[in-house]
Amino acid sequence: MRLAWSNITHDRVRFAVTVLGISCAVFLMIFQGSILLGFLRAASKIIDSTGADLWIAGRGVQCFEFAVPIERRFADLARGIPGVRNTRRICISLVQFRKIDGSQQQVALIGADTDSGARLPIPPLAGSAAGSPSGSSMTVGPQAVVVDSSNAEMLDIPLRLPLDVEINNQRARVVGRTSGFGSFLGSPYVFTSYSDASRYVGLPADQTMFILVHVQPGFEIERVKRELQARLPSVEVSTREEFSRRAQIYWTSQTGAGGAILAAAVLGFFIGLTVVSQAIYSTTMEHIEEFATLKALGASSGYMVRVIVAQALLAGLAGYLLGVLITNPMIRAARPHIPWISTPWWLPAGVIVPALAMCALASILSVKAAITVEPAKVFRA
Amino acid sequence: MPEHSLAVENASVSFGSGSTRVSALTGVSLQFAPSTLTLIMGPSGSGKTTLLSLLGCLLTPNEGSVFIQGRNTRLCSAREKSALRRQEIGFIFQAFRLFHSLSAIENVVIKSDISGDAHKHSRKHSRTLALDLLASLGLDGKMHLKPDDLSGGEKQRVAIARALISNPKILLADEPTAALDSNSGRQICEILRRLAKDQHHTVVIVSHDPRWTSFAGRTVLLQDGRVIEDRRN
Repeated sequence: MRLAWSNITHDRVRFAVTVLGISCAVFLMIFQGSILLGFLRAASKIIDSTGADLWIAGRGVQCFEFAVPIERRFADLARGIPGVRNTRRICISLVQFRKIDGSQQQVALIGADTDSGARLPIPPLAGSAAGSPSGSSMTVGPQAVVVDSSNAEMLDIPLRLPLDVEINNQRARVVGRTSGFGSFLGSPYVFTSYSDASRYVGLPADQTMFILVHVQPGFEIERVKRELQARLPSVEVSTREEFSRRAQIYWTSQTGAGGAILAAAVLGFFIGLTVVSQAIYSTTMEHIEEFATLKALGASSGYMVRVIVAQALLAGLAGYLLGVLITNPMIRAARPHIPWISTPWWLPAGVIVPALAMCALASILSVKAAITVEPAKVFRA
Repeated sequence: MPEHSLAVENASVSFGSGSTRVSALTGVSLQFAPSTLTLIMGPSGSGKTTLLSLLGCLLTPNEGSVFIQGRNTRLCSAREKSALRRQEIGFIFQAFRLFHSLSAIENVVIKSDISGDAHKHSRKHSRTLALDLLASLGLDGKMHLKPDDLSGGEKQRVAIARALISNPKILLADEPTAALDSNSGRQICEILRRLAKDQHHTVVIVSHDPRWTSFAGRTVLLQDGRVIEDRRN
């Protein structure tokens, strides 16, 4: 271990470059992992924020953002199924939001019945705290909308509210801000009541987009789902978890966005692998005569492998620590631009595994060079 | 061969193949007994270093055998040869072959690490042993210096301490004084002579240096890969 540490720190400039390369790779892996995790969470954020046990959606609907209209009477039919406590409606559509300076911005308008979910930011009653979740018996202020703080600048929303705006050329009033609902679509989310949303969107009264089903306590959700699906064969009934997972898979794999983010994280791994391989290999070749000496002195192949792998892992550990230190401020700096980025504690902690694996892999070429060196070389001056 | 700690028997070594084949040693047979410092001399290309490589299990002869403490190395696996080098042989090289990133004492202790002695006895014990060895070689104040901060003679004494720490019975030295001034060279000659005479090591030295003849108990002369003279001094 002492020899390994001395070998890699003997040339301080090379050691610094190696550690920097590894820390860049670690940073990339954590940063892209945070984007991927945040993207996954954002892709199903609205679904997960509802308290619904089951979701009824049009056939083939893969995610919340791309909904198709379904008949509103399905909600009445659903309530006739044993175990269904109540149903709520929720819809989404891209609409034009006219800012105070008269310019337009496309937004994703989400309208939901009250009681759709404790975490869903339906506009509160006038006088309630802005952004607070709607209570069970709340009525929603007319034409009231709520925006996410992260999009306030884009929508020119001042700190002082309310603010009168227009949505699809109809009057609306921004009454509050919420947080944690930064949109990953490029179009900010705007929340309002179901009735106002259907009016802004022009959704016919006999249609809706999603029906949220709450199951009575004591009833098995899967069983209620099966009965609902049998009763409503023209729509798709899913549990909240199923729909949430489907949306995540859709956004990550079918749109290519997740693939691109994942590719960047994998790229980080390979950049690191290349940098460390090159650095460890050149360190080994620089010390190849010392490895020949070790071999001549009787060192086993296992001993030499341990020295080289220890070199790689020590560099990896130093690079990992620096990478984690870099990541924290970088993610803080990125948050205003990528509000949905998410870095749970276990992500940087878990990256130590690929980081060290990368370093161990990088040492393979060096190990081969060291254990095949000709020991009789030591007699040449 | 119980009376000889080291022997080669009818050993031949050649390098290359076909028309480029060069014979480095031809039918060499020699025995080396404990308490004797043997000097191997000869002109460049006479096969001195090849013979030393054979004796150190760093090369395998094309024909013939090498015996270390009675064991025929031809019958040993690579792992067993490594073990023989760790336990039975101490090497001293012309170019010292110290680890530049390690201090003098670490350069000595590393042999214990390799041999597994550091774990067997404890690293502290190995360090104490290394300190004693370096002190006995006149390096008490230089234990923590790195090789680049030592003179040639000091480096060679560190290399001797490294060769001795695992208490091998055989010491093989390749031109140990070639890179040293006359005073340092004389000190090294004296140290190796004492190791042979007082501590009963089998010491084999390859050298062009004529100073060695007065320290050696035996001189072997090689020419064109053959022993042409084997003289007791």
